[in-house]
Amino acid sequence: MGFEGAMPEISLSINGAPVTGTVEGRTLLVEFIRETMKLTGTHTGCDTSQCGACTVHLDGKAVKSCTMLAVQADGAEVTTIEGLAPEGEMNPMQQAFNDHHGLQCGFCTPGMVMRAMALVADNPDPTEAEVRHGLEGNICRCTGYQNIVAAVLDGAKALRG
Amino acid sequence: MSNVKIGESLRRVEDLRFLTGHGRYIDDINLDGQARAVVVRSPYAHATINSIDTSSVADMDGVLLVVTRDDWQREGFKPMPTKSGVKNNKDGTPLSQPDRHALAIDRVRYVGEPVALVVAETLQQAQDAAEALDVDYDELDAVTDPVKALAPGAPQLWDDIPNNLCLDFELGDKDGTEKAFAEADHVVSLDVLNNRVTAVPIEPRGCIASYDASEDKYTLYNASQNVHANRDTFAEVLNIDPAKLDHIAPDVGGGFGAKNSGYPEPPLCLYAAKRLGRPVKWINSRSESFLSDTHGRGQSSRVELALKADGTFMGLRTTTIGGIGAYAWTVGPFTPTGGSARTQGGPYNFPAMYYSGKAVLTNTAPMDPYRGAGRPEATFQTERIVEYAARKLGFDPIELRRKNLMPKEMLPHKTPMGLDVDSGDFPKLFEMTMDMVAKADQAALKAKAEAAGKKYGFAIAPYLECTGGGPKEHAGVTFNKDGSVELAVGTSSTGMGHETSLAQILAAALGIEMGRVKFQQSDTTATPLGGGHGGSRGMEVGGNAVKQAADEIIELAKPIAARLLQSETEEVDFEDGTFKAGASSVSMNDVIEASQDADKLPEGMEPGCLNHSSVFERGIISIPNGVHAAAVAVDTDTGTVEFLGYWVMDDFGTIINPMLADGQVMGGVAQGIGQAFLEDIVYDPDTGQLVTGSLMDYGLPHADEIPNMEIGYYEGEPTKKNPLGVKGAGEAGCVGACPAVVNAVLDALKDDGVTHIDMPLTPQKVWKAIRDKGAHDPKALLGDAA
Ligand code: FES
Ligand code: FES
Repeated sequence: MGFEGAMPEISLSINGAPVTGTVEGRTLLVEFIRETMKLTGTHTGCDTSQCGACTVHLDGKAVKSCTMLAVQADGAEVTTIEGLAPEGEMNPMQQAFNDHHGLQCGFCTPGMVMRAMALVADNPDPTEAEVRHGLEGNICRCTGYQNIVAAVLDGAKALRG
Repeated sequence: MSNVKIGESLRRVEDLRFLTGHGRYIDDINLDGQARAVVVRSPYAHATINSIDTSSVADMDGVLLVVTRDDWQREGFKPMPTKSGVKNNKDGTPLSQPDRHALAIDRVRYVGEPVALVVAETLQQAQDAAEALDVDYDELDAVTDPVKALAPGAPQLWDDIPNNLCLDFELGDKDGTEKAFAEADHVVSLDVLNNRVTAVPIEPRGCIASYDASEDKYTLYNASQNVHANRDTFAEVLNIDPAKLDHIAPDVGGGFGAKNSGYPEPPLCLYAAKRLGRPVKWINSRSESFLSDTHGRGQSSRVELALKADGTFMGLRTTTIGGIGAYAWTVGPFTPTGGSARTQGGPYNFPAMYYSGKAVLTNTAPMDPYRGAGRPEATFQTERIVEYAARKLGFDPIELRRKNLMPKEMLPHKTPMGLDVDSGDFPKLFEMTMDMVAKADQAALKAKAEAAGKKYGFAIAPYLECTGGGPKEHAGVTFNKDGSVELAVGTSSTGMGHETSLAQILAAALGIEMGRVKFQQSDTTATPLGGGHGGSRGMEVGGNAVKQAADEIIELAKPIAARLLQSETEEVDFEDGTFKAGASSVSMNDVIEASQDADKLPEGMEPGCLNHSSVFERGIISIPNGVHAAAVAVDTDTGTVEFLGYWVMDDFGTIINPMLADGQVMGGVAQGIGQAFLEDIVYDPDTGQLVTGSLMDYGLPHADEIPNMEIGYYEGEPTKKNPLGVKGAGEAGCVGACPAVVNAVLDALKDDGVTHIDMPLTPQKVWKAIRDKGAHDPKALLGDAA
């Protein structure tokens, strides 16, 4: 409420395209992505920064977009799930999730995939334990994780080439 | 030639849109001109509502409408009825059902109960107004524990429901069981808590309602698992013709039972949409979800086992007190009564059984099905008392189970709980599981645990399941000129992959390409009836509806094939996508194409004549069964538990798609492990406030808390209760998991004297049990109430 009246303008890149928008001070990055940019692949599953469904990349790092204000992303490069592969295609990590049945309802999935991409960018050849640990900030209620972990290991391998 | 087969692990066709961010969930939908709604919820567990002053927010920015009890009463809207499968008390009188209105009328009876709906131009404006709405309450004493709620002197939720007792139920042979106990060499008794938990689908609930005045028609997009039943409930509440309400579920982000019920928010939004003449969107926050989603389990039970000196089971008696929240929800009263009675005793041979269950009203959130709804409770009760008896009486827990399993020759068998067990081979599954475990080498696992200074524990838990949910399902097939085949069913996938598995059944039966099938579900305009999701019915009822429709289409197609083959209909056979008459043959694809062409059709048949709908009706519920086993290492200094192995053998009858079945088992096991170690809905007993009201307080399992599972299927005993021979797979995972892991931990602590710990087995509770050297009152929960 303290930001009332202030409507900062922000410029950033989303999925490689430059974007300019006016936001309220209290607008969260996830709201900007979903409502202003109409990129609804980024989901909101909680209000306490626990579930990770809202995970996107900000300058190459995985962040929970419900946990930052849109104004904080001013000048940044943001990648969302829609930006991983050309329309209608999947990148090797997405393909690995499909191959290993690493998703059921799909609601946690964009966040999981974004987290997984960041994880393997940091650690291209992770162990199973490292993957399980690395996914700690993302909750999946459907899969029991086993197939997600298998998918991330396989996706990492495919991305290593 | 058939492209796909039943039993093949086809990759999911729905994955592409989910993996690329193109799923369409409720919050992704926005309608032109929509307003936003926020529910004003009760801050008290029990209070009289003196007044609601809507003038306090009427002038706030953007506020369009505040719906209160005055509107509800003026409009004469009806309460939402319970559809509990058990309707009568054991004395034959009907269960006590308080009026459950979408808004509290005289009193609020749980924290989070809807008191008003505020609608504004934007979400923020609606939130601000909801916070500002002036509601005057007089707080009353509350009771949250069902055992306490039954006791004399407890706060009474309803003036006309004595002792808060909604439903008093019994099943089985009381006298015969008493006799078995009197004649037994050993009797053991233990109070067992099945802790209260909630489903937490990662997508919160939400809906968008709109109203078209020109046609007097409503449309409701809703994250629902059960659009047909919910439509009927909402129409009943609002006094409208169900045909005037189109109810559609878009992609739904998980359900597990929590999106099954007739909730208050959709009828509130439908009413608001009509009043305002514009669409109204409402999305629950996660914190509100903890307050207002249905909860599950929450049973306190005394379980008693009678045995002969040699360990042969003679009788089982279970007395359960289950909370159901402040109202009798959609099927809430059923779970602690009939729902938990049916699979008592598991796959063991019990000559006598008796179950009594009380469904009790408390000042807590609604209780309705959560994955398994009664069967996880029954299995946990049975398996805990078996393990406890083994420990108390000095039997080997594995041998005691092996000895008492129903032999294959006993089947078909009607259990003393009335369950029709038609097929299965329990001893075989038990040994198959032990073989899986043997390959993992228990001695090596034990050595590994001990090398790390931990204690090793192992347990095996056979389970008996049964399906449930709506017995009827509709499948409609439409062949389009562009070659696509529309399949519309009334089942509801909230992640289980029906878009793949049901299309797989159709494609395999007809011998057509999977890629041609366009799948539609959860839409009351697409199918005249539907049972949604629940009770592991997707493949059992939905799959068989598709199979039946396909078989009937094949018969419809034979005259066309006969004409193409210049033969007689009676001479045409169909196999593997091909119609044959003598030496000549024609593919289903060609016959489908011909069915669109008047010139190629026999006399009397019209283009489109293969379009066909079918309704399958389940006769008797199916009996999935299986065995779980777990190996753990317990750190006795910290009370933490590590998994060393997890094994599952399931008899789900015919498996349609093993990859999808695995997914169901894995997800179910994870939910069981979550309940066993982390998850717990806790209310403050004095104030009735929800203590675990966010993901910070309610522990959901993470990737590093769930083990890899080795899963096998036994398909040698498909059921004859349905044409596909499927028994249902959706809930079994969380039926077997809790007893396997809890008993494994207790096995690890046997030298510490620990015989029982109530779930969740948090490190603190495990540590304390070790420090207390197992001191435990087996009558801790029910005392003398049983
Ligand atoms: S929405 Fe749950 S962590 Fe962001
Ligand atoms: S796939 Fe449903 S929450 Fe992960």
